[in-house]
Amino acid sequence: MTQRISKYQRFKMMNPIIQFFKFIYLSIKIMIVVAGGHGGTRKVN
Amino acid sequence: MSKIVILGAGISGHVAASHLRRKLSKEHEVIVVSPNTNYQWIPSNIWVGIGRMKSEKILFPLAPLYKKKGIGYKQAKALSFYPEGDKDEQKPYVLAEYVTGEKQGQREKVTYDYLINATGPKLNFEATEGLIPGKNKTYSVCTYTHADHAWEGLNEVIQQMKAGKKAKILIGTGHAKSTCQGAAFEYILNVEQELRKHNVRDMAEVTWISNEYRLGDFGMDGMLMSYGSMTMKSSEMVEMIFEDRDIKWILGAGVNKIEDGIAYYENLEGEHKSETYDFAMLIPSFSGHGFKAYDKNENDITEKLFKGFMVVDADYTPKPYEEWSVKDWPETYQNPTYKNIFAPGIAFAPPHTISKPRKSKSGTDIFPAPPRTGMPSGITAKLVADNIIDSIKNGKESLKHKGSMGNMGAACIASAGFGMTSGSGVSITTFPIVPDYEKYPKTQGRQLGKTFGEIGLAGHWLKLALHHAFIYKAKMRPFWWLIPE
Ligand SMILES: Cc1cc2nc3c(=O)[nH]c(=O)nc-3n(C[C@H](O)[C@H](O)[C@H](O)COP(=O)(O)OP(=O)(O)OC[C@H]3O[C@@H](n4cnc5c(N)ncnc54)[C@H](O)[C@@H]3O)c2cc1C
Repeated sequence: MTQRISKYQRFKMMNPIIQFFKFIYLSIKIMIVVAGGHGGTRKVN
Repeated sequence: MSKIVILGAGISGHVAASHLRRKLSKEHEVIVVSPNTNYQWIPSNIWVGIGRMKSEKILFPLAPLYKKKGIGYKQAKALSFYPEGDKDEQKPYVLAEYVTGEKQGQREKVTYDYLINATGPKLNFEATEGLIPGKNKTYSVCTYTHADHAWEGLNEVIQQMKAGKKAKILIGTGHAKSTCQGAAFEYILNVEQELRKHNVRDMAEVTWISNEYRLGDFGMDGMLMSYGSMTMKSSEMVEMIFEDRDIKWILGAGVNKIEDGIAYYENLEGEHKSETYDFAMLIPSFSGHGFKAYDKNENDITEKLFKGFMVVDADYTPKPYEEWSVKDWPETYQNPTYKNIFAPGIAFAPPHTISKPRKSKSGTDIFPAPPRTGMPSGITAKLVADNIIDSIKNGKESLKHKGSMGNMGAACIASAGFGMTSGSGVSITTFPIVPDYEKYPKTQGRQLGKTFGEIGLAGHWLKLALHHAFIYKAKMRPFWWLIPE
């Protein structure tokens, strides 16, 4: 096993307070990507 | 008055039916033909498969909901398509066979003005010899019953490990051309965390086996993504997670045969190898349902409707990978010959894969088929419903709503462990799903800011929030339509 995620990174990943704000941030960001609209790729039908 | 028939009550069929019913007046008929009794929120099967969620939590019966909402429901499976009717029936119809109740085994010509084929994939376990869920120590999490069995199998192995027996766990794809690597990725991370929770992690060797050329391909040719302040390849991100969790990997593997506790595979070098295991969860290949279609004189016209999956407005001209374009991908999911037939979700035939096709040295195709996750399935179903609604209301064909996977974002919230404070998730978004190398030539066809990855507890909460939101939406509770697909 190679420890690729440092103790500090892991603390940030699992800290409920930091992650609460991350949750809000991610929800908004995902909303922008997914509900931000979609369309065609061809100009002429 | 129009009659819209929807085949399938999975994510896309149910989304289409609910929007059609909400937006069309009661003089128009909306009918769902599907063999399943229950609606299931498939993404949460991952948690059923590790015993952290009961399957009852991810499903609900369709009949009472459809009755309440005025949606017709025939618990039947479509057998064949007659888009011109036949000698006795003027209207186009689908031949369907009831699967339960008094009418079980009876066949009916279900006529329509508009047809939405949302039958998703056939889980093609037969394509891999010996790959049978619940047999040969292999399991699946593709349905809630499969996931229940998977948990039984996994729990048995966990108990054996507790009694001191070492075990090998193999998770990934069970065919050279399987798709849905994302689901297997979620499952391996959840299983790995469960082993730690049960204090048996050091008794298990956990291995990822996949037809991907690189880790993190996910059937989407991989991604270049923002990760914190860095730009990272999805392969690097997955490698970091796997190494950190001591998960081994075998790539470019086309599993072709399963025996009790042994998976045989060919790799891209053309070598024939095998891997032993005590518990395996392998995603089968997905195929079309093998439907046939006939014209009014009952001549076989299957090729006008199907290329395995349903033919839609894609460019199916065969061309090499280097010439593939985002414009090959469909926008309206309309069949070019029969314009009142549509196929959203997994039911449409993709023009080609997204990942680069690769052959082994002995000529076997080993690469992922293109995934179509829940979000694009829902979005394409809604746009098909909206075009049908507009066409009915305007009295002429309207195809204003478009949604190519080359101009659509998707989020994949991959659970990496269950638990309100100990859970984790890998949240990945990608825009667009199919890379557009003309628009984003320097970032592997995707927009960097909108293609990003995050790992942490928030990902678990997000996945749980989506579980509740989508079940609420599927149950058509008040203001359900405000929740986006
Ligand atoms: C384990 C797992 C985890 C997943 N996790 C995620 C995730 O986290 N996020 C995500 O976005 N996506 C996820 N997906 C993918 C997602 O579930 C699919 O994209 C989605 O279900 C596709 O929807 P669909 O309606 O096209 O097909 P399905 O949901 O498969 O629905 C097909 C429907 O057609 C019906 N049918 C079949 N044959 C017939 C017939 N002959 N006649 C009439 N009806 C028929 C079936 O009974 C079913 O109701 C996951 C998939 C799996 C397997």
